[in-house]
Amino acid sequence: MLLIQNSAIADALNSSEWVFPIAECFHIAAFAWSIGLIALVDYRLFGFGVQHSKPSEVARATAPWTLLGLAVVLLSGPVLFLSDVRMYLHNPSFRFKMYALAIAILFNYTIHRKVALSDSSSAGVRVTVGAVSLLLWISVVFGGLFIAFD
Amino acid sequence: MILEFFRWVQSTDFMTGIRESGLTYPIILSTHLTCIAIFGGLIVITDLRLLGAALTHRTIADVVNGLRWWKRLGFLIMVSMGIMLAGSKAVDYYPNPYFWTKMSFLFLVFLHAMIFRPSVYNHPEKLDASPLIPTRAKAAGALSLILWTGVVCAGRLIGYYEPPQPRARAVAVNR
Repeated sequence: MLLIQNSAIADALNSSEWVFPIAECFHIAAFAWSIGLIALVDYRLFGFGVQHSKPSEVARATAPWTLLGLAVVLLSGPVLFLSDVRMYLHNPSFRFKMYALAIAILFNYTIHRKVALSDSSSAGVRVTVGAVSLLLWISVVFGGLFIAFD
Repeated sequence: MILEFFRWVQSTDFMTGIRESGLTYPIILSTHLTCIAIFGGLIVITDLRLLGAALTHRTIADVVNGLRWWKRLGFLIMVSMGIMLAGSKAVDYYPNPYFWTKMSFLFLVFLHAMIFRPSVYNHPEKLDASPLIPTRAKAAGALSLILWTGVVCAGRLIGYYEPPQPRARAVAVNR
């Protein structure tokens, strides 16, 4: 039943050759937007980037825009996924990406957010949290690209 | 003449090496894409600040001056990866309309920089001195967002182009 449903959705998505590429453009432009803004907070945790500002200021200013980008990413992603569910489920890079994504989002809205908003964390904690955040998001991007090469 | 140049680029040892090694190409491609992710935000926040949509309690000078060298570093890495990607398959890229669309967008980005650098990016403190964000700064921010989105989308579409089958072969198949 699930597979029949999925194939109906897949047929609809595959009815035009432009649905997938356009969804992908949204996906990429929006991850550049959202991950890029998260990276900006990471740079501030390292002490680089927007001058004279506290990490909490950058985190607060970017938060709504980051959320907007993530929303577009998380809406366009399933469109790509549903076009060929079976291929994605059997793709090891896709699975890696999903785990990395879940951890990255969880980390972003818990530890990362807490450290970025408290300007009293020690330099060591800030740098570690910034580095973990960058590494997690880079893993997500690499995982996503390698889906095509598996 | 351009095609000959592309042929020569692709045939160099360096580009041949990239093309023929299995993992090198996807790793360079992933790095190219990762650069979009970790440096793209520098452009987005600068544009949002110029538009007055984010970080408005910080001066434009703090944003533009603080990010200038990071943007340049990101651009350098991204372009190096891009040259390796296009160069190792230059002859395939030559007939690809999306590749030339992307190059046109990049040329417009270059023009954007030439036009707005003297009045916006090189003197952000002058923008901060004005009570309202000047129109030229907002125009620079909006155009930058549009042009870079164009670069990213055209870049992705490069992968979707299928060259037409050579006519001789099509005839042979029909027989």
